Amino acid sequence: MALTGIDIFKQLPKTNCGDCGVPTCLAFAMKIAAGQAELAGCPHLSEDAASALSEASAPPIRAVTIGVGDDAVKVGGELVLYRHEKTFFNPCVFAAVIDDGMDAATVDGLLKQTNESRFVRVEQDLKAGLVGVKSLSGDTAKFVALIEKVKAATTQPMVLMCGDPAEMEAGLKAAGETAPLIYAATAANYEAMAALALAHKAPLAVCGTGDLDALVDLVKKIMAAGVKDIVLDPGTRNPKDTLERLVYIRRAALNKKVKELGFPIIVFPNEETDDKMMEAVYAGLYVGKYGSVIMLSDLDAARALPLYVLRQNIYTDPQRPMQVKPGIYPIGNPTADSPVLITSNFSLTYFIVSGEVEASRVPAWLCVMDTEGLSVMTSWAAGKFVPEKIVPFIKGVGIEEQVKHRKLVIPGYLATMSGELEDELEGWNVEVGPREAADIPPFLKTWAS
Amino acid sequence: MEVKETYNGKIREATIGLGDTAVTVGGETSLPLYMFEGAAPNKPVIALEVYDTKPEDWPEAAIAPYADVLDDPVKWALKCQDEYKADMICLNLASTNPSTGDRNGADIAPIVKAVADAIKIPLIVYGTANADKDAEVMPKAAEACQGKRALIGPVEEENYKTVAAAALGFDHLAAPHSPIDVNIAKQLNILITQLGLAPERVIIDPTTGALGYGLEYCYSVMERLRLAAMTQNDSMTQMPMINQIGREVWKAKEVKTSEADEPAWGDAETRGVLWEALTATALIMAGSNILVMRHPKAVELTRQFVAALTGATN
Amino acid sequence: MSKLIASSAIRGAHSLYNKAEAAYNAALAAKGADQPVSFPDTAYYLPVAYALLAIKVKTLGDIQPVLAKAKSMLPDIPAEDAWLPYLGNTLDSGIAALLSEEIIEAMKYVMGPNPVEGIWLGATDDVIVRTQGIKLVDGSMPGFAAVVGAAPTTEEAVKLATELRERNILLFMAGETDGKTMADQLNEAGVEMGWDVYLVPFGRDISAAVYALGVAARAAMTFGGITPGGMKEAREILMYNKNRVFAFVIALGDVDDEKYATAAGAINFGFPVIANTDIPQILPTGITTYEHVVSNVPLDKIVDTAVEVRGIKIKITKIPIPVSFGSAFEGERIRKEAMFVEFGGQKSPAFEYLRMRDMDDIDNGKIEVIGPEIDQMEEGKAYPLGILIEVAGRKMQSDFEPVLERQLHHLVNGAEGIWHMGQRDMNWMRISKSAHEKGFKIEHFGEILKAKLMDDFPAIVDKIQIKLYTDADKMKEVLEEARAAFIARDERVAGLIDESVDTFYSCTLCQSFAPNHVCVISPERLGLCGAYNWLDAKAAHEINPTGANQPIIKGETIDERRGQWVGVNELVRAKSNNSVQQVNAYSIMEDPETSCGCFECVVAILPIANGVMVVNREHTGETPVGMKFSSLAGSVGGGAQTPGFLGVGRQYITSGKFIAAEGGFKRIVWMPKELKEALAGQLKKRSEALGLPDFVDMIADETIGTTEEEVMEYMAKVGHPALEMDSLLG
Repeated sequence: MALTGIDIFKQLPKTNCGDCGVPTCLAFAMKIAAGQAELAGCPHLSEDAASALSEASAPPIRAVTIGVGDDAVKVGGELVLYRHEKTFFNPCVFAAVIDDGMDAATVDGLLKQTNESRFVRVEQDLKAGLVGVKSLSGDTAKFVALIEKVKAATTQPMVLMCGDPAEMEAGLKAAGETAPLIYAATAANYEAMAALALAHKAPLAVCGTGDLDALVDLVKKIMAAGVKDIVLDPGTRNPKDTLERLVYIRRAALNKKVKELGFPIIVFPNEETDDKMMEAVYAGLYVGKYGSVIMLSDLDAARALPLYVLRQNIYTDPQRPMQVKPGIYPIGNPTADSPVLITSNFSLTYFIVSGEVEASRVPAWLCVMDTEGLSVMTSWAAGKFVPEKIVPFIKGVGIEEQVKHRKLVIPGYLATMSGELEDELEGWNVEVGPREAADIPPFLKTWAS
Repeated sequence: MEVKETYNGKIREATIGLGDTAVTVGGETSLPLYMFEGAAPNKPVIALEVYDTKPEDWPEAAIAPYADVLDDPVKWALKCQDEYKADMICLNLASTNPSTGDRNGADIAPIVKAVADAIKIPLIVYGTANADKDAEVMPKAAEACQGKRALIGPVEEENYKTVAAAALGFDHLAAPHSPIDVNIAKQLNILITQLGLAPERVIIDPTTGALGYGLEYCYSVMERLRLAAMTQNDSMTQMPMINQIGREVWKAKEVKTSEADEPAWGDAETRGVLWEALTATALIMAGSNILVMRHPKAVELTRQFVAALTGATN
Repeated sequence: MSKLIASSAIRGAHSLYNKAEAAYNAALAAKGADQPVSFPDTAYYLPVAYALLAIKVKTLGDIQPVLAKAKSMLPDIPAEDAWLPYLGNTLDSGIAALLSEEIIEAMKYVMGPNPVEGIWLGATDDVIVRTQGIKLVDGSMPGFAAVVGAAPTTEEAVKLATELRERNILLFMAGETDGKTMADQLNEAGVEMGWDVYLVPFGRDISAAVYALGVAARAAMTFGGITPGGMKEAREILMYNKNRVFAFVIALGDVDDEKYATAAGAINFGFPVIANTDIPQILPTGITTYEHVVSNVPLDKIVDTAVEVRGIKIKITKIPIPVSFGSAFEGERIRKEAMFVEFGGQKSPAFEYLRMRDMDDIDNGKIEVIGPEIDQMEEGKAYPLGILIEVAGRKMQSDFEPVLERQLHHLVNGAEGIWHMGQRDMNWMRISKSAHEKGFKIEHFGEILKAKLMDDFPAIVDKIQIKLYTDADKMKEVLEEARAAFIARDERVAGLIDESVDTFYSCTLCQSFAPNHVCVISPERLGLCGAYNWLDAKAAHEINPTGANQPIIKGETIDERRGQWVGVNELVRAKSNNSVQQVNAYSIMEDPETSCGCFECVVAILPIANGVMVVNREHTGETPVGMKFSSLAGSVGGGAQTPGFLGVGRQYITSGKFIAAEGGFKRIVWMPKELKEALAGQLKKRSEALGLPDFVDMIADETIGTTEEEVMEYMAKVGHPALEMDSLLG
């Protein structure tokens, strides 16, 4: 049972000193309970209180950071089995695997993809996150050379993949202090790999054999050696078995508090099929079901974009909807006589409305207002999409300079405020549009300024 | 590792069509694809879309597989059946939409009958989700395919009495359509079964959002319905589910845009096919039983996914 | 039970049986036992025999057991001196009559003359049953009427047919009176007949009336999904018809023995009989939903009586007003310049009042304007308008009066060019010039309200009549009565306490975005959105029994002080998808109720001050807990239990149960000035009830401070009672 804000508050100094940056101790406690602040934020916490709280407030799945600096990624830290229960917090990352057996052109191509596979969608920067560097040859020099090349070519954090601790050590040195993910410790090499992870302050992946009990034993030993940042590979290489292990691991960590399984998971769809389309489909499976680091054979844009969008969807906070930037969106080269519509900045509303306006082939101005990401009806109910907010928005957004007419189409569901809005929005006529987006095209086709 | 769940619920089995080619869906005794915890006697099936009129706004990649049959629903359906091995056909009565074709029930009844008579595999007939119009069209459509045990949808809260009664009267199944809302889905199921339709003749249409266009809402609502069905044995959530994937996916901007217009987005066909396959497979993970799809290559990927996840391996 | 009816029905059944037996024997002799027998295009054999006896008649030979069964059900004809015949005997004779009639008609298909001849349509095929059945199920055809006999005159026949058609009621015709049938009369008058126009002539003989029951039986088998098997299924088929097929029999002219027997058969299906002649009535209800036989009804009242007796709901598809109607017009405003006339708004006396009456006291659908109509009104002026709506319904309760009355605002505003605000005797309405030009009159207010209240609330409104007073003197009396009723209602609401009821209501409307949130609505704790109080939830459940408001039987009390009951816990567990195990309705600290996101206010504890603050949604500034409303909403919402925080409706603040477990109202130490002012009256009243007349002034607001420390200083200064209370943190 997670601690409530009140439980945490009881351990705090109760001084409302504000040194944590939050005005009251209770507000600070609420932030910790919501995972939005760290205990360390309170400089006056007694040692007893700190240990009592950190034990109880430790997340069931550890958040592990791979890499350093701006491009470091944080994975894990999840609290739920199903996203509707709260949210999936730290988006999974993808990596194209480059190995030391590839020719230079292939390597360059993959590096180019790693750097250029970026898309901006709903104000979010979508990219892979990591790059895999794998020793295939067993030739340390080749491995080191490849690492150096990758390090020079990209700032994306690396996953170093090699089973020989000596070769890995050379690789880690070549990687410098970049905290790459070390892949991987096994029953055969874990002592040496654990030592490397500690020495290089790098997270360590632990590769199992498919047997979760054995994996628990192995992780236990590695934790005993002092390694804290661990990533799990269940060791299976077909999607049916992998799904089973992933579900079991997540459940064991959340429901049974099995500490040894309370870590993010790395998966290898690139090793589960030779067909790149199927590889992407399996990658999709792991986006939804508990993969945190997803290894791919490449990042071809036509396959990467859908995967990134899937990740964006799955990791959207169900209670904090995605928002688009407020402003004027011209659709289809509108003119001074084109219709003006207004809607909320809930991303789904925007996508659907703009899609239907586009489908109508009637050029139009779509004014998207800041409703804090709430949908039309919800934002209206919450007082965020009401005349007193709409008036300053329309007057300030610059639409009056774009069109000659003064007719504003509002969503059909907001018909009840049409009169009030018209009274307050000086110089404008308010027209009630359709209730459903699907009815926008016929509405626009008969619209006249 | 003792983390296996036992479930006290089960998804009902529903059979569409009659005779040898009838298709049964549902029957799962665990969460979707959790083969390690229960049985899934019937795999998710794929229906291919057929439209009653030639579509106008499809991107090139979607047109190509059907270029020779797009203006003939019967040939189109046969191509889906014979060449692309569809499990079912979903005939969309798009031309009845009041804002586009506005054809009425009598106009489309012959098309429904012709398609129903031509194919061997089961039929799904879908209206345009315009409640008033569907109330006029769907009884005629249901009559035109009587004797086929088709799936009739969508049944909306505003017209459930008419459309579900049409399914009831002409001995079909019905697909109640709820707006991404667990409670309305349940409520509609209660109302429809109270009307007299057996729960075994109900397939839930939870509303489908394509990848990037509300997929996550649809995914979570379906996941919630499945959890309620399995862990709470909530009878009114234990129906199989259907998703209209093709028509949602292929209007997405990222799918319609050509590579020439957005070179950074890569090959348009690959992108579109994967967009559809990822939408379909994500919804299978959430509990879909019938996937209405468009592109044969996306269908193939989805089939392979199902085979890999439900087949006998270890 | 009338002995006369019973005797007639039994005699009629005997007579029909004898005819059936004779026809059967003749056919058997002529064609042999293997001769196929069927009605055209049906998969239900002889449908009445199949439905009631599960006998699949395919050949003449198959008829033998049907005939035998009919014979076995024939009661002896009661002796002249028998005292009280048994109702069961009459009903049995009805079944025997129907089985016999079906055989008589079937023999016509075997031996001739073909029942399909001239205007007569004979047996109905399955496709028609299905197509028409859909309309019965979806309510677009509210029911069907089987007319036996003929009207006194052709004109009256046409009028009756028109009245039924106007209500979309399907009319079946069979049987004659003095050699004439109603279908003959319609035919003479040149009225077109057929399934498409809802006028279906089955046959000249009374036996053709069985086709109507054949349709009814198949509707039950098709739409009720019942497969005949025996007595149990037969009963289900009859019950399906009683509950779902809103049909009735209209007996015109003399009712002879065979007609009585047929009527007795129809009563088995739950179809009452309405007669225009003086035949004995059977009023006590039992087999049919309401009355069995109602007689001596004048022809021009027969349809209304039938509709009422059968409990038929007629759908109004288009409101007969000269302006458009729809939600798109709800928000329009009518400025003074655009206004033709106005009512109320302190410019003239006006009110709106809905009250419940007995069924018999309502002349259904009547709209009366008492005083001048709009054509006697001058542009730009204010006139009196009192709207008195009277409704009756078998499930109507006086508690639903205000719920329906509040609909008036939204309904009247739906008309284009009409504007409404306020309520009760503080309302204000305008009719625009354009609406006036289109012909909108005072009576149209009545049309809107009649149509929409009947259509939107069919579960509770069976009958309605509306009076519109535009004469100030004539409205006085009603206005006084309305005012008294408003006061009585307020007292009723004020007097409702949680202890006085055993049922609360749940609300799960918000689960679309807060999947595990359940509001528990009790008389003293309204929904946290402020929109649903206990009476609203109760009415909403009655109106929509499968909707978001479900009754909660409180059950055994677990903790009276904190407000915890077995039944409430069970429901919350189930509706929260098992994520909330128990709730205390009156506590903010221990297992408090969850919050969705629509709360009007958030209550948050100020642990150091040992009190609570309340902040309303409209207040955007800082609060003493260190969070603005928006971040408070973020921590409280989403359907989780958050000890120390609670989303509430405004009215709950002054409820006797407001965080009662923590000491209640006296814990409040801070609220925004605006909220204090909005609730001033109620806060004062509550303070006085607690014996703390000056308490409201002890509550700090943002002008006094927005930090916990400032609040504490103020508390010390004014001697706030929370200082003396138990520690909130226990």
